[in-house]
Formats: sequence, C-alpha cells, structure tokens
Amino acid sequence: METLTGLVLMGSRVLLPALALWLLLRCVRSMLQESYEPEKWASLEFSDGATADITHWESIIGSARSCDVVIPRAGVSRTHAALIRSDRGDWRLYDLGSDSGTANGALRDEGDGLAVHDCDILFFGDTGAVFRVLDRDALLAGSVRRSMPGQFVSQAATLLILTVFQVLLALQLVSVAGEHAVSVALSFGVLVLAQWSLYLLMRAMDRRGYELETLAFFLSTLGFAVCASAAPAELTRQMLLFLAGVLMFLLLGWWLRSLGRTRALRWCVAAAALGLLALNLALGRTVNGAANWIRFGAVALQPSEFVKVAYVYVGASTLDRLYRKRNVFLFICFSAACVGALALMGDFGTALIFFVTFLIISFMRSGSFATVFLAIAGAGLAGMLVLTVKPYIAQRFAAWGHIWADPYGAGWQQTRALSAAAGGGLLGVGAGRGWLHSIFAADTDMVFCLVSEELGLIIALSAMLALTAICFFAVRSAANGRSSYYVIAACAASAMMLVQLALNVFGSTDILPFTGVTFPFVSRGGSSLISCWMLLAFLKAADTRQNASFSVRLSARRGRARPGDPAPIEDTDDDGGEEEVDEP
Amino acid sequence: MKKIRRRAYSALLVALCLLFGTGVYIYRFAVHGREWASFSGNAAVYENGRVITGTVTDRNGLVLAAVEDGRRVFAGDAAVRTACVHAVGDREGNIGTGALRIYSDALSAYSPVTGLDADGGTVALSIDARLNVAALDALAGRRGAVALMDYTTGEMLCMVSSPAFDPDEGFDELDSAYEGAYLNRVLSAAYTPGSVFKLVTLTAAIEQFPDLYERRFSCAGSLTVDGNQINCTGVHGSQTIEQALANSCNCAFAQLALELGGETLAQYAARLGVSGRGALDAAGTAAGRFDAAADGSAALAWSGVGQSTDLVCPLAMLRLSAAIGNGGEAAAPTLLRSGNGARERLLSADTAEKLKAMMNYNVVSVYGQWNFPGLALCAKSGTAEVGDSSSHAWFTGFLDDDAHPYAFVVLIENGGSGARNAGPVANALLQKAIELSDGETP
Repeated sequence: METLTGLVLMGSRVLLPALALWLLLRCVRSMLQESYEPEKWASLEFSDGATADITHWESIIGSARSCDVVIPRAGVSRTHAALIRSDRGDWRLYDLGSDSGTANGALRDEGDGLAVHDCDILFFGDTGAVFRVLDRDALLAGSVRRSMPGQFVSQAATLLILTVFQVLLALQLVSVAGEHAVSVALSFGVLVLAQWSLYLLMRAMDRRGYELETLAFFLSTLGFAVCASAAPAELTRQMLLFLAGVLMFLLLGWWLRSLGRTRALRWCVAAAALGLLALNLALGRTVNGAANWIRFGAVALQPSEFVKVAYVYVGASTLDRLYRKRNVFLFICFSAACVGALALMGDFGTALIFFVTFLIISFMRSGSFATVFLAIAGAGLAGMLVLTVKPYIAQRFAAWGHIWADPYGAGWQQTRALSAAAGGGLLGVGAGRGWLHSIFAADTDMVFCLVSEELGLIIALSAMLALTAICFFAVRSAANGRSSYYVIAACAASAMMLVQLALNVFGSTDILPFTGVTFPFVSRGGSSLISCWMLLAFLKAADTRQNASFSVRLSARRGRARPGDPAPIEDTDDDGGEEEVDEP
Repeated sequence: MKKIRRRAYSALLVALCLLFGTGVYIYRFAVHGREWASFSGNAAVYENGRVITGTVTDRNGLVLAAVEDGRRVFAGDAAVRTACVHAVGDREGNIGTGALRIYSDALSAYSPVTGLDADGGTVALSIDARLNVAALDALAGRRGAVALMDYTTGEMLCMVSSPAFDPDEGFDELDSAYEGAYLNRVLSAAYTPGSVFKLVTLTAAIEQFPDLYERRFSCAGSLTVDGNQINCTGVHGSQTIEQALANSCNCAFAQLALELGGETLAQYAARLGVSGRGALDAAGTAAGRFDAAADGSAALAWSGVGQSTDLVCPLAMLRLSAAIGNGGEAAAPTLLRSGNGARERLLSADTAEKLKAMMNYNVVSVYGQWNFPGLALCAKSGTAEVGDSSSHAWFTGFLDDDAHPYAFVVLIENGGSGARNAGPVANALLQKAIELSDGETP
C-alpha cells in the first residue's frame, strides 16, 4: 500500500503539470489561435455599387479610417452617424453632430434617432445608401459558414484532460487527508459532476464554447486542493460556494443575453452597490486591518466582492451613448464613491483593483489619455495621503523589498511563503504534503506560494497563464463584439481579475507591497469565489463566436446548422453522429 | 466598434505588467530558490532551527545521523555516537559547527526542478568513525582536541573534542566534567600554543636569516631581556638551530624573535594562518592571536616562543603541519568525503623541506623513535604555560609517508608535557589510522 501510494505520488507529480500545460495549451489554441469569422447583420449598398457589411450591433459611419463603415467622400463628417441594432432586431440611426446631417429618406435626425428598416435609403450628407437587413435565411446561411468553437479543438477532450487532472489530484489528497478523506473525495466528485453537467447542459443548448468554463473549473480545482490541504473542515462550505458561484454565473450570463434589460438595470445596480458599501461601512467588521466584512448570522460576506461585479456592470456602456454623451462624469462620481468607501474601510488592495479597472473602463469609454493621466495623478496624491494617515499600510510599504532583513517580524509571512514555494521546485512536493498550509492566510493571501509548494511552480504559473489567456481572449473578442457594452465589460472584468491576480501573487512574493487580496478562483473564500464566477459571465457575453456562448443569442433561431442541411428546424437538439464520443 | 476594439488593447497593458512581474519572479526563483528553500523558517527542513531531514555518514558509509519516522536518529553504537557528536551535531542544535548545521543545504537536498527532497540528501563526511572512537579512547577522559587530516586532500579523517557526550543520552548540565561539552575544541577554541609556535618563528628565521644554519645558539638556562628573565627548560649550552628546535630552547628562540622583530613575526603568524580566523568548509574557526610587541621587549621574546598573549586554534596548527608535510601547500580543511579542492601555498617548498627535516630530527633525537614504532614521524611538541602553574600539552606534525599522508594535532588542556602526554595520543591515532588504511588496501 505504502509503495503504491509512493508510486502514484511520484507519477502524478510529473503528470499533473503536464496535464495542466496540455489543458492550457488546448484552451489557448481554441480561444486565441484559431480564426473565427465576424457575424454579419446588415449591409449598406451605395449608389456606385460599393457594399459595406454591418458586422456589429453598434457601428459608426463616417469618413475617418477608425469608423466601422468608412465613406471617404466630401460632405461626410469624420464620425458622422451611428447605426444601432436592438435585441429585438430593430435598427436606429443616430446623427453624431455631423456638419451635413443624417437622414432616412426625407426624415432628418434631430437628435432622437430614426427608426430604419430594410430597403430604406439612408443619407449621410449627400451620400445615399440602401440599408439592407439580412433576413432569417441569410442570417442562417451566414451562421452556417462561420467556424464554431470545438471544431478545431474538441472541448470534451479538453474537459476529459481536466477530469484526469482532478482524479490524480484527488488521489494525492485522499492519501494524506486522514479523517477528511471522504469529504475530499466527495467535493472532487461534485466538482467533476458539476463541470460535466454544465457541459451537457451547454450541449443541450447547442453551445460549443467551453474554454472559459474549463479554465475556471481548472482554477476552481486548484482552489479545492488548497482548501483540502489548508482547511479540510471547510471543504463542504467551499463546495457549496462553488456551486453558488456557478449558479450565479449562469444567472448573470442569462441576464446579459438581453442588452435592453441589462442596460435598464444599470442604475438599480449602481444604487445597490453604493447601498452595499454604505451598509458595510455601517456594520463592517475589522479583519486584519480592513473593515470589509459583514456578518449575517453564520454567513460572513465581503460586500466589496459583489460591488466588483456591479462596478463592471455599471461601468460598461453602449456605443451610441459614448458618442452622444461624451463625458464620463457620472461614472467618475460612482467610481470615486466606490474607491472612497473601500479606502474608508481600509481595504486598499480592493481599492487599487477598482482604480485600475476604472482606468481601463474610462479609457475604453472616452479614448482620452488626458482623463487617464488626470486620474492617475489624483490617485497618486490620494495614495500619499493614505500612507501618512494609515500607519499599517505605510508599514507594509516599509517591509516591501526588505522581507529578508526581518524574517521574524515584518517579513514573517512572505519569507515563509517564498521558502515553501522554492521548496516545491517545478513539480511540487505533492498535494497536502507541504507545510505552508499551516501558516496564517496561506490559503488566501499566500495561495500562489501554497500551490507552488504543493503542486509546483509549473502549475502555479499555469493558473496565472489561464487568467492571462482569458484576458487576451476578451481583447480578441472585441473585434467581433456585438455591442461595446459587452466588449468593455469583458475587458474590464478580465483586467480586474488580472490586477487582483498580480496584487495577490506579487504581494506574497515581495515584488509588490503586500495588499492581501485573493487569487481569483483559487483563494479560499466565499464572496470572492462567487464574484469571480460572475465576472466570468461578462466574458461569456462577449464571446460572439458561432454557437459559442449561452450568454449570446444565436443570430438566427436555429440550433445546430450544418452545411447542406435542409430547411431550418426550431431549436431542437439533434445530438448524434458527432465526433466527440468521450462524454459519459 | 473599431475604436473600442483598439482601446481594448489597454487591458493588455495589465497582462503585460503581469507577465513582466512573472518574469521577475521566475528569475528570482531561479537565482535565489536555493537560498529561499534553506531559510531556517522552512518547516520542511527545520524544526525550531534544527535540520529535520537528511542523512549523515562517515567516509565508509556508516550512518551517523538519519531520520526515521520524522525523528532524528544517530548511530547505533554509543561509542560512535559519542566520538562523532561534535562532527555530526546533536538533536537540539547546540553544537553550532556540526555537519547537521553547516551542511543543512546538502541535507535538505534542494533541486530547482524537484524542490526539496522529502527524504533529504546524504552528506558523506570525510571522518572515519573508528578513528574518532580510537582518538577519544586515547584521550581517556582528559579535556582536549584531536584531529587527523590527509594533507594531500585536506580531508579531516578524525576530529574529536573532549568532553564529548552521547547525543541520545545528553548529560547533566550541572556536572562540571561536561563543562563546555558543546564546544568543538578543534574548531571553536584557541589556546596558548607554547613551543609549537616555534615552528612559526623558525619559518621566519629560515627565510630571513640566510646564515641560520651556520649560527650557534648558546643557552645558560635563562636569558634576561629588558630586565625580565626568560626561562628555559634546561641548560642547553651551544646548539645548532636543529638542536635548538629539538631542545625546544626558549633562549635560542627568544633571541631569534628579538632579532626578527614583532612586525615580522606578526606577518609570518598571519601568513601561516595561525593568528587569524580559519574555516572548516562553511564553519568559521575561533580566531588565533598574535600581538606584535615592541622591539627589544620581553613580551616580544615570550611571543616568539608561543607564550605572552599568543593564541592558536588547533585546526590552524593542524593546517600548518599539513602544509609542511605537503611541501608547503595547504589543502583547505574539509569535513566532506568529496573534498573541496581549494589549496593555498603557505611556504616555499624549500622552507617546507627544511622544517620537515628538523621536525623529523626532533623525533629521532628527543621524542624517541621507539615511542612511535614504524612511523616516519615529523613532529613538534608544545608545553604551553597557562599561568595557573599547569600547562596545555600540544603535539603536532605529520607522517613523511606517501602511503599514509597524515597530519595531526593533539591538544590536552592542562595536560602537562606535550611530548610525554600528547605524544602517545598521537601515536595511538596514527597507528590505528595506518592499521585501518593497510587493512583496506592490502
């Protein structure tokens, strides 16, 4: 028995990093390397015979090269008009303060926009064009031509690799779990079950893009391993929170399907976020210097985690608004309120995350470097003030870069974290076999080093790369985004996770000052885990690849479309005859 | 949308910063990983500052310290445990220079790929446990230090300090017999050298006075310097330098010291490594001492015969003897079977040859070859007066024997005459070493 455990451990120490890299590589290939064609919704046919495709729900028309439809003619302003599609497929045309005006036939836009329909003749100054909306058959034909995720890299096979990873990891953990062996096995079982159920559910909805979920499940797996190692008694709680996170991911993803209702709720969400922060300020409990916890009976919540989701939800904006109301004043006020409340709580790590996210959102909305520089200068001054007022933050800054000078004082946690991480080498000492897990905050603030010690540097870096890949995917999706709302939200959400990741990893490894924020998906902690899953929903909503995301409505109401198919059938799932046979 | 798409690249700035930081971390991990892993706060390696991983063996593979079920265990034989306690270290980490301390890096067996090995690494020491046992037996309970080195490689074959104790039994801290038992006297103590320091004065004289061998040194039993009397061990009359060394004549060496001057002697003491701080691999030794006294002073005369304020660490004395035996070149002392390869020339080959001849003459003419049967011995004794009318017994030297290139030092605290009391310990150790060596390679 002893030797068998030893053999499993030996083999899995090498196998786990290999599987993690393989999994990561497959997801990256599927998300970032393969090319996916844009959607096509409508077109403008000009009198000279030229045709321009409308490939977004929000398109800017003008003579500048940065416009989506470029009309290089005299009389057309640089950014002339915006052509916007609603969820229901109604199109509207807005003049963007052009010199020569915008009209649909004889009707000029006076500021409220014009409804436009198929075959209407639109005028941009003197230039006329026939607006053609693609009908259902044309949309369907378009969607048939587009590549789908899973076509190049089988999603089920990737998920199977993850499952093997999970089984090996669970074996390692069970062998050292003692009395907690059952709950370790159970929680990993639930994890595997959840990811396959979700996969099957998505297949039932005829959605094929599963890379984001796979990466999130991979990170959650590491989170389970961390929990099993550091706080096995908390596994059941972790499992329930994980399920709650997945559920919230589905709910928010489903909600984001409709741009109309999403936009309508923005003010309510903003008010709720501010209310939550106010409640936190009133009832906050101070834990480790930051009063960012509130407790309802047995449930402790970190409201700032949910405010993160709200912040992205509120911060993103549609293109027509950006062009018609250029200022971001209200958004700046909202941001200042959020960051200010967090600073009052003493949660400077989260305040910093909000600030960087603010920079990205405000730049994406305004395109103005001046705003960004002004914000940075203002925040710099505020930061100086904080350092003089809050001595415990200043102390962390003082220890930064000098942890080895005081390994038994200010550098206590980080020197041990680094020592343990180095002890793990590239392959790790085996899940549950390290010692760092007994150090305070090892499963939250120091989690990168805990993973590095027990599972090795390769897996720890894979976790970082997984989140980085998600960010690259968000930026790549921007090219084919339907609405700027989804693009901004996806970029902001992924950047938010990356900033949080950077503060966590580099704080614990003494590359940045120690701020005590969590590692997305991996750190043990309920609110954070749920908010990460919710942030992931924003990425799903921006994934416009054909049949990729449950959070994106199909362009034509027909599920699977295959070349040579006869007449479309409504939304039935005719699964079968597919190449993926590894489903259980 | 095209604009938004371009602005979206701003999110990649965060990713770039992240990748840059990760690069910094990977670089630090590669460069400092070993340092980090062997940090004394690493609970996989240390428990309350003690190494709890790895195996230590003697040069023949005999396990001196290992880990069983997470607990440090030592050799099965109590005599071996006791004789090797200073070389290996104890469970509580009280012996600061033991292998468990100074080779904690190798014991933790760090590799950047696999990290720390769960079982730890194995450190093969250069010592032969049987020689340690023999040396401790020969000391017969007297306080002191005994060490034997292969002067061609610097490997310490034997290193014993007394009082020693069994690390499994410990000792009564209040028992005065065990006072200073945690101290490895070979490394961590410095003693008045007495006549063994004459090797340093002699080296200076050989190199400074071309006519040294033509000179005659007269001894009337004492010498008056600056109004103070320098006593000699006897009345030696007129002597050559060889005879003066063999007689260990204080009058002759006091004269040489006065003629050399304090500064010159201090330079030689430093060059030969007896007045500074030496090292056994990563462990530093106690510092020796030599104060350059004023020209013409009694203090200068006394310092030239190893009295006054002179202090020498036994390991430094061993290294000097080893260098003479090795033709002037000192191999750096090491406690590792694998050696460390470092070398330093202390003396010219010519000077070393002259010293060797005179040290052999000491044995033949004074110490008595019959006391060292079969040994091609070159040696110098020392009887260092320590003020309370007792004296430390020193005996150091080497075998002029290619098959058995051993240098040794024996020091017995308050042990009386060097040749008479420390000499037999050296003989016992050398005989045992030759017996073991010949037994293995017949």
